[in-house]
Amino acid sequence: MNRSEESQMIIMEEEFLDEDPAQVERLTRTLTTRRHRRKQTLPEAVGPPEPRAEERSRTSMAAAPSGAAPQPLRDLPPVPSTSRTGFAEFSVRERMKEKLKAAKSKAEINLLQEDHSPRPRRLKNIRERKTEVRLDKASDNDKFREMQEDESHLPSKIKFRDSVKKLKQKSTFQNDFPSAEEAYNFFTFNFDPEPDSIKAGARKRNELNEEEEAEEECVETHEDEQEEDETDEDVRLVKDDDLFIIGQTAEDFLVMKPADCESYSEQLKKEKEFLFTPSMLAVPISEKMPGNMQPRYLEDEGLYTGERPFVSQSNQNILENRILRQEKGKEWFGDDGKILALPNPIKQSSTRPPILSLEEGIAPELETVYRKAIKMTAANQYLVGPGDFQGPFQLDIDISGLIFTHHPCFSREHVLAAKLAQLYDQYLARKQKNLTKLLTDKLHALRNAVQCSIDAGGAGVPSPVAQQSIPEYKIEIRQTRRLRDAEQEKDRMLLKTIIKVWKQIKSLRDFQKFTNTPMKLYLRKEEVDQRLDEKTYEAEIQAEINELLEECMEEYEKKMEEYKTELQEWKSWKKTQKSKKKKKKKDIHEEESVEDCDLGEERVKPIPPKMANSLEIEQQVREKADNCRRKPGEPALIPELVLSGSITPTELCPRAEVLRREDVKKRSAFIKVLFNSKEVSRTVTRPISSDFRVHFGQIFNLQIFNWPESLKLQIYETMGVSSTTLLAEVFIPVPETTILTGSAPMEEIEFSSNQRVMLDHEGVGSGVSFSFEADGSNKMTSMTSGKVSNSVSWAVGEKGIPLIPPVSQQNTGIPSALKNIDAIASIGTSGLTDMKKLAKWAAEAKLDPNDPNNAALMQLIMVATSGEAHVPDFFRLEQLQQEFNFVSDEEFNRSKRFQLLQLRNGEVSEFRNYKQVPLHEREISEKIFQDYEKRLQERDVIDSKNYLDAHRAVVANYLQKVRESVINRFLIAKHHFLLSDLVNEEEIPSLGILGLSLFKLTEPKRPLKPRRKERKKVTAQNLSDGDIKLLVNIIRAYDIPVRKPVMSKLQQPSKSSRSFNEMFAASLSAQSPTDSPDWAFNQVLVRPFVEVSFQRTVCRTTTAEGPNPNWNEELELPFRAPNSDYSTHSLQSVKDEVFINVFDEVLHDAVEDDHERGSGIHTRIERHWLGCVKIPFTTIYFQARIDGTFKVDIPPVLLGYSKEKNLGIERGYDSVRNLSEGSYITLFITIEPQLVPGESIREKFDTQEDEKLLQAAEKYEAECTSKFPSRQCLTTVIDLNGKTVFITRYIKPLNPPQELLDAVPNSSQTAAELVARYVALIPFLPDSVSFAGICDLWSTSDQFLYLLAGDEEEHAVLLCNYFLGMGKKAWLIIGNAIPEGPTAYVLTLEQSQYVIWNPSSGCFYGQYDTFCPLQNVYCLISCDNVWFNMQEYDSPVRTNFDISKPKLWKSFFSRSLPYPGLCSVQPEELVYQHSDKAAAVELQGRIEKILKDKIMEWRPRHLTRWNRYCTSTLRNFLPLLEQNQGKDVEDDHQAELQKQLGDYRVSGFPIHMPFSEVGALIEAVHSTGVHTIDVSNVEFALAVYIHAYPQNVLSLWIYVASLVRNR
Amino acid sequence: MAELHLIGQIVGASGFPQRRLFCKWGLHAGGAWKLLSGLGAGQTQVDDPQADDVAYWCHPLDVHFATKGLQGWPKLHLQVWHQDGLGRSEVLGYGFCHVPATPGCHALTCVTWRPRGTWRERLKQRLVGGGPQLRAPETVAAGGADRFRLRTEAAGAVHLQLGVLLRHFGRYGVEC
Repeated sequence: MNRSEESQMIIMEEEFLDEDPAQVERLTRTLTTRRHRRKQTLPEAVGPPEPRAEERSRTSMAAAPSGAAPQPLRDLPPVPSTSRTGFAEFSVRERMKEKLKAAKSKAEINLLQEDHSPRPRRLKNIRERKTEVRLDKASDNDKFREMQEDESHLPSKIKFRDSVKKLKQKSTFQNDFPSAEEAYNFFTFNFDPEPDSIKAGARKRNELNEEEEAEEECVETHEDEQEEDETDEDVRLVKDDDLFIIGQTAEDFLVMKPADCESYSEQLKKEKEFLFTPSMLAVPISEKMPGNMQPRYLEDEGLYTGERPFVSQSNQNILENRILRQEKGKEWFGDDGKILALPNPIKQSSTRPPILSLEEGIAPELETVYRKAIKMTAANQYLVGPGDFQGPFQLDIDISGLIFTHHPCFSREHVLAAKLAQLYDQYLARKQKNLTKLLTDKLHALRNAVQCSIDAGGAGVPSPVAQQSIPEYKIEIRQTRRLRDAEQEKDRMLLKTIIKVWKQIKSLRDFQKFTNTPMKLYLRKEEVDQRLDEKTYEAEIQAEINELLEECMEEYEKKMEEYKTELQEWKSWKKTQKSKKKKKKKDIHEEESVEDCDLGEERVKPIPPKMANSLEIEQQVREKADNCRRKPGEPALIPELVLSGSITPTELCPRAEVLRREDVKKRSAFIKVLFNSKEVSRTVTRPISSDFRVHFGQIFNLQIFNWPESLKLQIYETMGVSSTTLLAEVFIPVPETTILTGSAPMEEIEFSSNQRVMLDHEGVGSGVSFSFEADGSNKMTSMTSGKVSNSVSWAVGEKGIPLIPPVSQQNTGIPSALKNIDAIASIGTSGLTDMKKLAKWAAEAKLDPNDPNNAALMQLIMVATSGEAHVPDFFRLEQLQQEFNFVSDEEFNRSKRFQLLQLRNGEVSEFRNYKQVPLHEREISEKIFQDYEKRLQERDVIDSKNYLDAHRAVVANYLQKVRESVINRFLIAKHHFLLSDLVNEEEIPSLGILGLSLFKLTEPKRPLKPRRKERKKVTAQNLSDGDIKLLVNIIRAYDIPVRKPVMSKLQQPSKSSRSFNEMFAASLSAQSPTDSPDWAFNQVLVRPFVEVSFQRTVCRTTTAEGPNPNWNEELELPFRAPNSDYSTHSLQSVKDEVFINVFDEVLHDAVEDDHERGSGIHTRIERHWLGCVKIPFTTIYFQARIDGTFKVDIPPVLLGYSKEKNLGIERGYDSVRNLSEGSYITLFITIEPQLVPGESIREKFDTQEDEKLLQAAEKYEAECTSKFPSRQCLTTVIDLNGKTVFITRYIKPLNPPQELLDAVPNSSQTAAELVARYVALIPFLPDSVSFAGICDLWSTSDQFLYLLAGDEEEHAVLLCNYFLGMGKKAWLIIGNAIPEGPTAYVLTLEQSQYVIWNPSSGCFYGQYDTFCPLQNVYCLISCDNVWFNMQEYDSPVRTNFDISKPKLWKSFFSRSLPYPGLCSVQPEELVYQHSDKAAAVELQGRIEKILKDKIMEWRPRHLTRWNRYCTSTLRNFLPLLEQNQGKDVEDDHQAELQKQLGDYRVSGFPIHMPFSEVGALIEAVHSTGVHTIDVSNVEFALAVYIHAYPQNVLSLWIYVASLVRNR
Repeated sequence: MAELHLIGQIVGASGFPQRRLFCKWGLHAGGAWKLLSGLGAGQTQVDDPQADDVAYWCHPLDVHFATKGLQGWPKLHLQVWHQDGLGRSEVLGYGFCHVPATPGCHALTCVTWRPRGTWRERLKQRLVGGGPQLRAPETVAAGGADRFRLRTEAAGAVHLQLGVLLRHFGRYGVEC
């Protein structure tokens, strides 16, 4: 509503502009102020909602026609007065009306006054509008509609419209008229302030006074409008025609105006009025300075004023002019009349200097290098990770030639010539060095020096330095002389030999009448001046004599001194002795005197030294000089070897020689270069020249990625067209990083081959003895040998950068910055790290600093030693580190927690799986580290306490070291993962699998023969204690020994000699159960039960009855991993064994006397150990389950027990009788939940095998496993050094100990048994236990015998080798056995029968033996081939061992790949130490003592009595047992014991085992439970016997027995 | 005697022009620091994102440091590599960032850069792959060098999530 008015104003403004600018200005000013006010009031002055809505509707109606009006009527139209009535109070209205009337009358007067002139103008205006609108809106329709709308509305509306129009007219009319004041009053005059408060009250009661003004405005406007309304009415009354016109054409309101445009000049003119342009002229200083001050220049006064920023003078002037016009403008000026300014902030130089060229001046660490995109390989031995790849590294290998120093085709002359050449070379080398001369000179110099210092000392004051140095000099002289003499002698000897060989050659040439070599030796005589020579010779000798004399004198004096002191002592002692003797007479004190006498005897009167004889010395010296020196006057001989001799042409030679020469011509040689055992290049094949030299002159540039581990040259010789033989391998050292191409010297590396070559011509052959003498005496043998001259160096790249890989290498990630900075490396050496030691050595060795040979070394030492003292001249980043440290280094390193954390992180074995490191230092006990530190200390100290035997202690120590290194290796290997380790991607079911599963649907739901289903395997990561259980299902046992009635004595003839034929032939008839047909009736029952102990947890079954009990019980034993570490490798190294002991439960009447009987039964339960089965946990772990019938290990003698069937003592392959041969137990053992056995280590081991062979082996293995995936195919194994070795290299005939063979000279099978027993006596130590991770290390037989520990393979290899050595046909069987799992056995062919030997027990089985522990046969290995079992069934019973059938056995070496003649890794011959009987006896005593102590320890609450009589009896039995190897002595023995200990009930048995360490023995004795008997009057007997076999193999017998006196 | 335990992960990288990225990382600390446990350097797998341009590695970091001084606070060095279609690798970016010194979880973004090389090298890079690499990235990271001479261009960013546990720093007057 206010806006409409506003718009009106604007119109008015426009029109005012035309007339009076001044007025206009004033008006606009007032208007704007008002407008502002209104804007303020607008939000507050909002009227009540109803009228406003009304207004709006009205305006919308009104706006349609008036929209065509020329005024931009944008907003609300004026409020009609009628609307007010609704809510204004009546009285107010009345008053308003009065006022309006007054105003109306006034307006009328005005109107009347103005009426005459303005009308035409207005009309014209209207017309103009008309035309405009027509142009604009031509649509009649619109007009029509508008008209209609208009008509449809109330006439009052039209009136209203008119009134608006008229108002406008009126205002235009009035333009000329009212003065500015009037106009102002008209708009602003406050007509009546009274309704103000009332209205305000009506609208908003709470309005504040401040807003009164605004309200006034509002009121005012209303009043204005009302006033206008009044006038409208009047006007309408007067001018009807106007209304008529307007009603028809709304377009009349429009007016067309050209765009307002002011000319530029006009604008300028206007701008001139209100813009100020300061002049560019300089301002006089006086204007700038306040008052009449003179400007002062601080700079002139010497004060510092910064340089002012540069501003151009004109700009400065403009600014000054501008500022001066301003108020207080002078404040901007300084004392010097210039504008105040800060010094120029702009730096003269740029902080970031421009980079002119990129390459120049870049710090070395910022250098970038363009690298090609490279392929990464996973292998870890690569030089550097790809991130650190520093470009190709290059090794240059220069092979210049080959010289044979011996070759099979050498003729005899050649041999001698080679020798001569060698000697001559030696001579030349010595001559070049000329040590003799050097030493002689040195000697002279030293002598002079001594002379000088003595002279100086004699002349004046002897300087202390000289005094000191004389003895030093003398020592030096002596040493030098000795050295010189030695050298001289050598020189002379060499010369002599050269001459001798030359003479031999000459005589040989004469003898054979032709010459083969162009060698000629000239001896040049160099005449010397005899007199002078003699003189020097004599002088030399004299000097030497003098020195020697002096030396002798010195020595004499020294000895004299010693003698004197000793004599003194002796005398004084003598005196005391005498005085004591006197004393002794007084008080008789025997003991003391005895002591004294002892002392007295020790003392001997010292002997005075002898004086040396000068004559003797002279004689010695002369003799020596004669020997090693040229005689005076004798001409000096200088040999000269020339190749100018002529070789006899071939036509003139005898036939043999011609043949030889032709043969040489046929031969040629080439060299292969092998880098890291891979052939990288080879030279061209060059013929061997007649002087046995081959020239290659080839340089190979090897661009390498791998770190050079080995560089090898293989020298091959080719004969004729086809055959190529490897002569020798030469290993070349990898060059130092300082050796670069160009500077590398040619080196000659010698090689030799052990090939044996015999030729049918004049050539002497190789490895064949030949002689130079006609009679064939004085034979000599030479091997093919020679020298390769080559040089290996690091290549130099462009720009002279050597292409050397960095010494420090890092596997992954970013290497540490610090590691690359090696102070010494910068000097140019590498590998030398301990400079201190070097310096110390240099000081001790008294290196001659002036010796040019030492120059380089001395300089290095200088640098090293001086560098230590100085502050290092490199920049340290953390130089203030010390000051800011929290704690000192010591404290930091002492922290136990940190130590623990680090050790755990380092996977040190003690801490590998340490969980939960305590948070506080105090919670960590010192004990934790004790073991670790002890181990570190004792690494090299051999502790014999635990091993009882020095040799075994050493071995254990060695094994420990091997184990550590292997474990470390595997720990590293464990961190290498394959994709399959990380990503478990299940196979998408294919059609085949789907079909299979469909097929499964047809399977019977409950099959008659159910199979064990594969259980789900559990990975061992998230297991904890108690999660794993060992399930042992004991099913039944056969043939348990039964108790023997005390009286029954069965006489069995002992059989000592049987043959294999007898053993395996069905000789049922020979032995019949004639002896005791009544055995079945009078037998005493046995009540066996089984006790399983594992990790000291014991579980037992119920007691069953009879010799063939049936338990069928499941026992559950918890399993605890060491350190509660359930990772795979930890589980693999669990050493615990499951002991399955069979006991007999014996009930004894416990009632002491018969009176108590009747009321109750008192019995005492005793248990007697019958036998045991031991199964290592690792076997169960790897096998996942163990299911089968095992032979119970029953001691050879079980007192009080006998085997049920005596007829079964004879062996045979008849299964019925086999049954009775031993006791058997059927078991099923498994782990719950099933664990995933660890996979074998995938590390690729380095090898010395031929690459081709390895490839063939791989192919062979792949072929075999593809056909029989379950069968293990073994072609290569890892030896103790971690190298891959082809398996046949292990098999080689070896000599068994002669002692064993001598024991039974005539019977081979007994000898074989003895040997097998010997092998079985070597302690067993499974590899997988000692070497965590499934890795079999095969040691050779000599290593095995030295270590005296090994697992099945070592035993089997040794046994097989022994059998081969004994002339048997033997093979190694790789197979699967119970309970060992994958293992190795030995197969022999005995009189057309195959016999299988278990090497770790010494037992043997026939091929058709059902109880043979060997279950599957996979491979057979002999010394020259490997056969893989291709038969359908692989159990030994069903296997045909005829390896000649290729269909049944697939052989490795066949016609396509012939056996290359691999040399064996085994030694030529085994050397055995003789057994040390005394040591064995001593050990025996110690073990006995330890075991007795242990038994007493296990019975803490009982008295342990030892029956000495029984013990001695038992001790007598044991050697007998050893002699008979525990066979067939039972009954004799029992009878005897019974006889001797008639009134005792004895239960006990001998235990037989190989001796390795004490712990095992104790465990074995403990497991029998002999000590558990708790009868009050029990007595014990324990005897130990050790039988020593060669090479310290000990057979140990322990006889334990408990005795209870019979009443 | 203070300890710093860093547990976190290299989440991934974004903003690199190529896919198939992997990252080599290393933790560098001053002389006063001792690595008690955990790996101080490593390499992630190659991630070839199929959906968008962010490579995710989620490579775990678990490092335990002990220190006797504040100097040489551990720094993480990152190298982002790209494995191209032929299986070859090339450097795409170097980045360095400090291990946060306040305890708690931190989400870090480490921006990376790489040497720009001459136009010839750039051309070569475009045609045959590879590219300029720092000769001694660790010394550049150590901060000793004035890097202004190095002309580099921006590469993407590596995202890290690091949980920092501090222990006993307060004992030595270090407030974290």
